[in-house]
Amino acid sequence: MIKVLFFGPVADRVGLRQIEVPFHDGQCWQDVRNVLQSQYPEAFALVSVTAVNGERVRDDGRTPLADGAEIVFMSRFSGG
Amino acid sequence: MSDAVRLQLEDFSQDEEVRALRASSQRMGGIATFLGCARDFSEGRDVREISFDAYRPMALAELQKLRTEAIARFALLDARIVHRLGTVRAGDNIVFIAAGAEHRAPALEACRWMIDELKERVPIWKKEITPTGESWVTPHP
Repeated sequence: MIKVLFFGPVADRVGLRQIEVPFHDGQCWQDVRNVLQSQYPEAFALVSVTAVNGERVRDDGRTPLADGAEIVFMSRFSGG
Repeated sequence: MSDAVRLQLEDFSQDEEVRALRASSQRMGGIATFLGCARDFSEGRDVREISFDAYRPMALAELQKLRTEAIARFALLDARIVHRLGTVRAGDNIVFIAAGAEHRAPALEACRWMIDELKERVPIWKKEITPTGESWVTPHP
């Protein structure tokens, strides 16, 4: 399974803080985003940062994930 | 001694943080600090409380990286960053940053750099709680 976490305004719009998505070989974070974005378009309108396994990703989203990966789709930060 | 980088629910003491910073080196000739506080008025509304949400593992790792980078970039002798989570009331402390260097210029520059980078890089979100409702804060430049 792929664990997907949401925080802050994105979590409010999704209505959940965590979702599990079935894993399949060759799956990448952009695939996960495409599926969830169609289910939660208002939440994903806020998403500007993605992290995989605790690291911000700057690739095109085509790097294959491992089973058990953790993805976080995040809006712009507002700490401080 | 407490960790130099922390996320915590409870308030912090600026004096204790500065004391810890000074204890790391007697070569420190300049210490600059930044204290971020919860305002009671924002976007034309009274604000009673601010609630924080964070992706804690990444937030802590980013803060640690930020401190390490600041030390290298500005030749600091030490630096400390403390950010509160949970809910704080108007007037309460939110974040404290301290930078210690041999001279004032790098300490001041590093302090400014760290709070600016924190706002860009650290996954923390704040929600203002007003008498008429709640809203997530849109980042300011």
